[in-house]
Amino acid sequence: MDSKPAPIYVDNAATSFPKPREVIDTISSLLGGMSLSPGRSAHRYSLECSRIIFEARETLASFFNCPDSSRIAFACNVTEALNAGILGLFGTALHPGDHVITTPFEHNSVMRPLRYLEKNAGLTLSILPLSDEGEVMVSELPRLMRDNTRLIVVNHVSNVTGSVVDLEEIGRLKGECLLMVDAAQSAGVFSIDVKKMHIDMLAFTGHKSLFGPTGSGGFYLREGLALQPLKMGGTGSNSETEVQPDFMPDIYEAGTPNTLGIAGLGSGVEFIVKTGLAAIRGHEQRLCALFLDGLRQLKNVTVFGPGAGRQRAAVVSLRVKGKSESEVAFRLDREFGVMVRAGLHCAPAAHRAIGTFPAGTVRFSFGYFNTEKDVATCLRGLDMIAAR
Amino acid sequence: MWPPQHHSPTCVVILFSIHFVLKAEKLFKKQGISHDVIPVPREISSDCGMAVEFPCREIEKVSELLASADIRIAGLYRRDGRDSFQVISRS
Repeated sequence: MDSKPAPIYVDNAATSFPKPREVIDTISSLLGGMSLSPGRSAHRYSLECSRIIFEARETLASFFNCPDSSRIAFACNVTEALNAGILGLFGTALHPGDHVITTPFEHNSVMRPLRYLEKNAGLTLSILPLSDEGEVMVSELPRLMRDNTRLIVVNHVSNVTGSVVDLEEIGRLKGECLLMVDAAQSAGVFSIDVKKMHIDMLAFTGHKSLFGPTGSGGFYLREGLALQPLKMGGTGSNSETEVQPDFMPDIYEAGTPNTLGIAGLGSGVEFIVKTGLAAIRGHEQRLCALFLDGLRQLKNVTVFGPGAGRQRAAVVSLRVKGKSESEVAFRLDREFGVMVRAGLHCAPAAHRAIGTFPAGTVRFSFGYFNTEKDVATCLRGLDMIAAR
Repeated sequence: MWPPQHHSPTCVVILFSIHFVLKAEKLFKKQGISHDVIPVPREISSDCGMAVEFPCREIEKVSELLASADIRIAGLYRRDGRDSFQVISRS
């Protein structure tokens, strides 16, 4: 038996690895350093935890150009944030009979709550078409809009093809509709400005390109908008009343929060600010371009996604002729140490739209800590797998 | 030592959430206003949250500072003694 090849992690769209040293240090020093229940007691540990969470909130608010950090609520991941938004708008800004527009690139964390409301609450749903370039046709938005269109939900970057949606254009075209953005893949790579892009709700996860640990994430909600909270309970505020507080962030943050996760997320965003968003994006896109160039030389490999020269994230979906997606992923791992993800990536609508349903694709997603050598190993592995 | 010993009369401002208490704390630090983050005194409210105590001579500066940062005041009190507070304003 050959010795195991060195691990090469190219599944950053699932979760980023490795994390910056600062994130690890923040989390380990906190876990070993103090109790982790913020905002509940008056002692120094509790207060210090509250300060750490407050600073993380301020860091995220500034990162997304959100004018008031109290409009950022933490959640355990982007799925929870999107559900808080979609299900929470129902009954406040969204009512039976209302119309919602979304894209074929939505993850199931958007599609499932929307389909649920479509089936059970009388919402109607329209889906923007894709162009020949494999991009969401934002220009079709005015044609799909109706008098009762209340909400547009958009995945900023496809977790299947890396295709990017022009949020500024949607912000310009949306009129009175609310704009909810799933920034799972884009936050930490592409610049997001909630004011400039007229975003009403932005859902983000902590553990992908924001470099936090799993179990962290949250959302920004524009002032003046309210959601029906998904959960109610202790907030450390207004404790004399049995009614959930009506102000942010407390209204959406019942229960002891993931202090470690939020602290790590704050550290991750500080790392991004220090390193520079453009530097991170530049590095990832260089690796992606190198990979795409190499793929063009390979026989029997089909790439799905935006054409050459289009704006994209470092997420590449492909198929190898005559091989199943799971076989390719398995052999990449066993024979070359390359860790990728095969299948539908929880986005069946995206795979239907690009013609890869139900088998899906093999997805490579490069991160800031990948190297050109990693790309070369990915290409060598694919070449050998395609050949036999 | 409890309560905090101040040479001059102190006031206590109650805000709506720990988030705003810490936002106020950050602003106070920046402006060099001496202060303590304290548990909300039982005599004021049974809330389990925190409040900010500061010298009453800073009251105008504090009111302006909080208003400029859109921090709503739930209540403002003057400490009359260890366990006694006088309402200045309450929302």
